[in-house]
Amino acid sequence: MKLVRILAVIFLGLVLASCASGPKVSYGDATAVETTTTGFGSTDLQSIAAKLVDDLISFPPIVQMTAQRRPVVFVDKIKNKTTEHIDTESITDTVQTKLLQSGKFRFVDMTAVKAVQEQMQFQMDSGMVDPSKAAAFGKQTGAEFMLYGNMSSIIKRNSSTKDVYYKFTLKLVNLESGIMEWAGEKEIRKTGEKSFF
Amino acid sequence: MRKIILKTVLLAGVSMSMLGCAVNETATVVVNDDGSVTQVIESNSDLLASNLKIADTKTGFVGDLLKAQVEIQNDSDDALSFQYKFKWLDKSGFEVAIDGRPWQPLTITPYETQVVQGVAPNPSVNSFKILVQD
Repeated sequence: MKLVRILAVIFLGLVLASCASGPKVSYGDATAVETTTTGFGSTDLQSIAAKLVDDLISFPPIVQMTAQRRPVVFVDKIKNKTTEHIDTESITDTVQTKLLQSGKFRFVDMTAVKAVQEQMQFQMDSGMVDPSKAAAFGKQTGAEFMLYGNMSSIIKRNSSTKDVYYKFTLKLVNLESGIMEWAGEKEIRKTGEKSFF
Repeated sequence: MRKIILKTVLLAGVSMSMLGCAVNETATVVVNDDGSVTQVIESNSDLLASNLKIADTKTGFVGDLLKAQVEIQNDSDDALSFQYKFKWLDKSGFEVAIDGRPWQPLTITPYETQVVQGVAPNPSVNSFKILVQD
């Protein structure tokens, strides 16, 4: 009888302790390989960006072109042809950041055009900004190149296995001549097997 | 006797769990100012110790960016699955673009060699390390 009481007290103590401690939260390595599901994940995003940036900045004609100057590029949307919802802007953001940090390219940000326009309008029309220090209209640099691409997937499954294949293609086109200066591809294959245990 | 067995099992478990978390630097390659290359290969890395070998490293420049190539060899008769990562350093030994490169999964079939490549994130890089973990 005494033993049952002691065990009950210990059990209650454990229950209370687990309630008080709350959910367990920990920080992990953001660059670690993530294999929670076969769906598109952080490892895929990081691998795509790393491979394509390496390819682009080491392609001989691009090396030659960027040796003396930093061409201006604008990033168009990536067409998502997969069946998943994938934030492709996040991929191009990473690619853009890596290219900027390489010191080889500069970018015009088309996602900020409206905000820039509003700020310039404010500087010109509000009467609050010294006209000699206001940013003037018509002085922005036009992009020389456009970066765009596609993302597609092939998914196959049987009763026990799911196979996912992703292909990401990125292209760099000269806006004036229409010539495609570079294209790079990254392929990813992931296989998931159902566990029977 | 039972105690000894228990202790041994416990120790083995602890050491295995420690090995599972280990990140190993397997090679360090530095391109010196005069263009010569200093290469240090760690052959006694804890992880996959008797199985994985850095067969060779190569460096070159694409423009002013360091390009690295590492040949990783599987010396065992089992396929090895592990992860690798490049770590880039500047002349002063500061790491450049921390977290800029992800861990990459890699599988090498028995007695095969695989080549992995990487390009430095910017021109300040003059050396790299290759890390592996399982």
